Amino acid sequence: MKYHNLLKTAAAMALMAATAGTATAQDKTMRVRINADIRSTDPGVNRDANSDAIVLHMVEGLVGYRDDASVAPLLAKSVDVSADGKTYTFKLRDGLKFSDGEPLTSADVLASWQRYVDPKTAWRCLKDVTGSSVANVTNVTAPDASTVVFTLEKPTALFLATLARTDCGGTGIYQKSSLDAQGKWVKPVGTGPFMLQEWRSGQYVQLAANPNYVSPGGERTGYVGDKTPKVSAVRFMVIPDDAAAKAALYSGDIDVVSDVNNADVEEFSASNKLKVDKVASMGLTALLFQTRDPLLKDVRIRKALLLSLDIPQMTEALTNGQSPANLSVIPVPSPYSGKLQKAVPARNIEEAKKLLAEAGYKGQPIKWLATKFYPSLFDAAVLTQAMAQEAGINIEIETLDWATLLDRYTAGNYSAMSFTYSARLDPSLSFDMVSGNKDKSPNKVWDNPEGLKLINESTTIGDDKQRQALFDKLEGMIRTDVPLIPLYSGTRIGAVRANVEGYKTWPVGYPRMWGVSFAQGK
Amino acid sequence: MHALSKYVAKRLLWTLPTLLIVAVMVFFLVRMIPGDPAQLILGDSASPEELANLRANLGLDKPVPLQFLYWLGNVLRGDFGHSISNGASVLLLMLDRFQVSATIVLVAVALATLIAVPAGLIAAWRQNDHVDVAIVAASTLLMSVPSFWLGLVLLLVFGLKLGWLPVVGYVPFTEKPWTAITYVILPVVTLMLIEVGVLTRMMRASAIEILRLEYVMHARAKGLSERKVLLRHVLPNAFAPTWTMIGLVLGGLLGGIAVLETVFTLPGLGRLLVDAIFARDYPVVQGCLLFTALIYVIVNLIVDLCYPLFDPRVTAS
Amino acid sequence: MIRQPANLIIGSLLLVFIGGMALLALFWTPYDPAAIKLVARLKPPSAQFWLGTDEFGRDVVSRLMTGAVQSMTVAILTVAFAVTVGTITGLIAGYTRGLADRILMVFSDALLAFPGTLLALGLMVISGPNKYGIILALGIAYAPSVLRIVRASVLSAREREYVEASRVIGNSELTTMFRHILPNCLAPIVVLATSMFGWVVLAESGLSFLGLGVPPPAPTWGNMLSAARTYIEKAPWLGLAPGICISLTLLGINLLGDALRDRFDPRMEQR
Repeated sequence: MKYHNLLKTAAAMALMAATAGTATAQDKTMRVRINADIRSTDPGVNRDANSDAIVLHMVEGLVGYRDDASVAPLLAKSVDVSADGKTYTFKLRDGLKFSDGEPLTSADVLASWQRYVDPKTAWRCLKDVTGSSVANVTNVTAPDASTVVFTLEKPTALFLATLARTDCGGTGIYQKSSLDAQGKWVKPVGTGPFMLQEWRSGQYVQLAANPNYVSPGGERTGYVGDKTPKVSAVRFMVIPDDAAAKAALYSGDIDVVSDVNNADVEEFSASNKLKVDKVASMGLTALLFQTRDPLLKDVRIRKALLLSLDIPQMTEALTNGQSPANLSVIPVPSPYSGKLQKAVPARNIEEAKKLLAEAGYKGQPIKWLATKFYPSLFDAAVLTQAMAQEAGINIEIETLDWATLLDRYTAGNYSAMSFTYSARLDPSLSFDMVSGNKDKSPNKVWDNPEGLKLINESTTIGDDKQRQALFDKLEGMIRTDVPLIPLYSGTRIGAVRANVEGYKTWPVGYPRMWGVSFAQGK
Repeated sequence: MHALSKYVAKRLLWTLPTLLIVAVMVFFLVRMIPGDPAQLILGDSASPEELANLRANLGLDKPVPLQFLYWLGNVLRGDFGHSISNGASVLLLMLDRFQVSATIVLVAVALATLIAVPAGLIAAWRQNDHVDVAIVAASTLLMSVPSFWLGLVLLLVFGLKLGWLPVVGYVPFTEKPWTAITYVILPVVTLMLIEVGVLTRMMRASAIEILRLEYVMHARAKGLSERKVLLRHVLPNAFAPTWTMIGLVLGGLLGGIAVLETVFTLPGLGRLLVDAIFARDYPVVQGCLLFTALIYVIVNLIVDLCYPLFDPRVTAS
Repeated sequence: MIRQPANLIIGSLLLVFIGGMALLALFWTPYDPAAIKLVARLKPPSAQFWLGTDEFGRDVVSRLMTGAVQSMTVAILTVAFAVTVGTITGLIAGYTRGLADRILMVFSDALLAFPGTLLALGLMVISGPNKYGIILALGIAYAPSVLRIVRASVLSAREREYVEASRVIGNSELTTMFRHILPNCLAPIVVLATSMFGWVVLAESGLSFLGLGVPPPAPTWGNMLSAARTYIEKAPWLGLAPGICISLTLLGINLLGDALRDRFDPRMEQR
């Protein structure tokens, strides 16, 4: 009898364990690497790439990016633009709820917007929506609980793309309870698929699935579509050291690395423990010149430097064969990257020497700034130094820490440097990133009044063909001036443990943990 | 006893100028390094107006000497300010991270001393025979391995290949003591191995010195066993320079184990400081340096106070 | 004591070997140490490249040889700087005691309490990232350690009978200091200096890890070691080669240091 009971209990326990197994599988926490601690959870305020990536799991804006970096409605159900291009009418989705269960209405959109445009908030994108640079929003109203109307001073092709920008925090809408009574930021209460559970400084940020998440349905793409969380918690672990992160991925101490080194791709792809997913990204790694430098102000010397480089081979070495050479500021995945943009001039040492002789260059040293913070920037400097030497160009490398390099970049205080730009998702923005009046913005490398006029024009027109023609013209102009040598737009490579399903890398590059789950039975 | 407390009081009083010099050096050195937090926050597309606004928001637009006096005034009232990076209280951040670093440094140096003292003593006693050569060679080897290499190799072997220990992460001792140990074994062992080399060599050198003095000869002549000669006469006298070295090592390590804390992903004070330097997080850099300086001074005060225990001759003065 | 010359011989041989390698590199290396050959990246050791090639296809042997010159220069000059400054100030502090001692200790404590990274970062900004900036930065960072050790030795030596005796005989303070006290500090100084030699080579490695070492394309053992870290699994020879060189040099210096100390120790002569 006793024996029988025992058997029964054992069987019952085994059954319980089995069912518990399936029920709790997704209770496991998914662990994702971030390479540095986040700065804050306040969208678009005191931020960096890691902060953006995590905040955008918790808050959503009116619009968001798709996988191809085009813009689609997110909290909005529809966006209507008036004929004159000055009025944007957003209809909110029905049944939207914040993570605390409260409904989201147009009043919340207005409240969030008012905090964004308050200069005291120090929102990253303030000047982009209330200034002359991109758009100037003159009025925002809420005619009813599910409608918000934005009025702009002038029409622009970039208004929605600006609202969606990751560094603007996606202009995410949050509930009043995100702030304390004094209006100080506490933590985001948003509509995203996750909510903040615990932030341990220097260690990790843990998010829990948002039980009140309302899915709009549709394909999961970029920051839009069905973003239903499939794991109960995600822990973003701060692991600054690349080698340690790699070891942790192999050992199973973490599940996802969203930004793998080019050098590790082959090894990761060969491992049966891991899955690799890669996609061309929209950044830019380039060699910059100060066109006001006493030596480099001579376009012939800049051109000679370009001709002395074997750029395809350089790019092959710098990216371990992961990215093609791209001599345009427009990134490879952009629909505007055509034949003209993809052309790569051939190396020509003789021609380079001829140009140098014409310019009267006699081996004066060119100070080249680089940093080891991004190893590829340092390596690019070393390769440039060696290749340019063959044409008789004398480069001296000065290695700085990232903050110092950025300081010299911002002040325009350099002769030449290797530099990397963050992603720009529209060609107008790509050109804007390098062009400007050096007296007003010393960080810009290309100061060509005609070019600036064309760039400005490209932001106001919506027609693809017209824009392409403008960008082609700009391409020819910037290539004649050689204020910089673009090298490649890069590749975003993600790696996950073999039992992680649904993780997808995309050109914007930030990890997205909704829709991602652990495979059953593994 | 009265003399001793007077001595301690006097020593503590003399630490004040040291700390003041550190404070001044820190403040002006950090601000002399180019780059500022506003640029790092705004990144590659910052416009001059945005930079100026953010700098004003962070209080970085005021003259540096004024900023210094303001900061010093706050510190004297116990307010170390808030981190520019994440707004956390600098004092709390430091105390939190200090526990992690202090545990690792103390345990590692204690273990290193326990190994180095006998090893150095034996090497000195058997000077120039094969035991000595082996000990010298081993300690030399340990001194020539950079900590980031040793750490990474141990991590790959014990964490990845053998899978005995976790590769990343940290759990405070107060939460799960046993799990916590598994996270700190590798960093402690790495640090211990690095320090054993230096301490062994120091111990060996001073022991050789003492072994040559007359009173050791006398002791031997009196017919004391070698064991007694070593333990009673050589060890106490030879330990003094090693003890100074331990003081130097202990004090210097707090700021110096940043590399190890990075390899092993530990939330320690060293990493906090180095990250803050690179992020130009001025309040954290200033706070941390002042804090480590204070710790350093206290450690060395304790070291000095302990001298009479090892070197009877110093008591006289 | 019979085998006394052994450490002298082995130590000298090692240093002659390394020194010879450095000397040879001034005139000849198998390949140009800075020549980039992208088709031959990360090649393992072979008949063509004895110790393989690095991430830019540069010959490791040639870089080791040239690196020896750079690392030796930096290490020797740094140690010389730190020991000279540290010994002089240490003697003054320990011997005079009093106010000079107080002031020196306050400054040395302030420097010691200062993490090397920041000191190096700051000084490097003033001097620019070059060899002499590194020597200055590391020299200033290490001098206070010498000061402390020397001071401790002086404090214990000045109470010994023969120092008293020297003073009683009427020798000047300076004579007493140099004849009777300095020799007593020799052992710890030699140990510290030889250890420091290793620290400097490794510190340069750490600094170039942060991008602050000797600027490229000049190779040093330190920057070779730090660059090799990325390829620890793929190309272990990249780290082993400079690592072994550093170890051999340290061993040579330590052995020679021991031998020299024995030779010059005043009490050894008496016997």
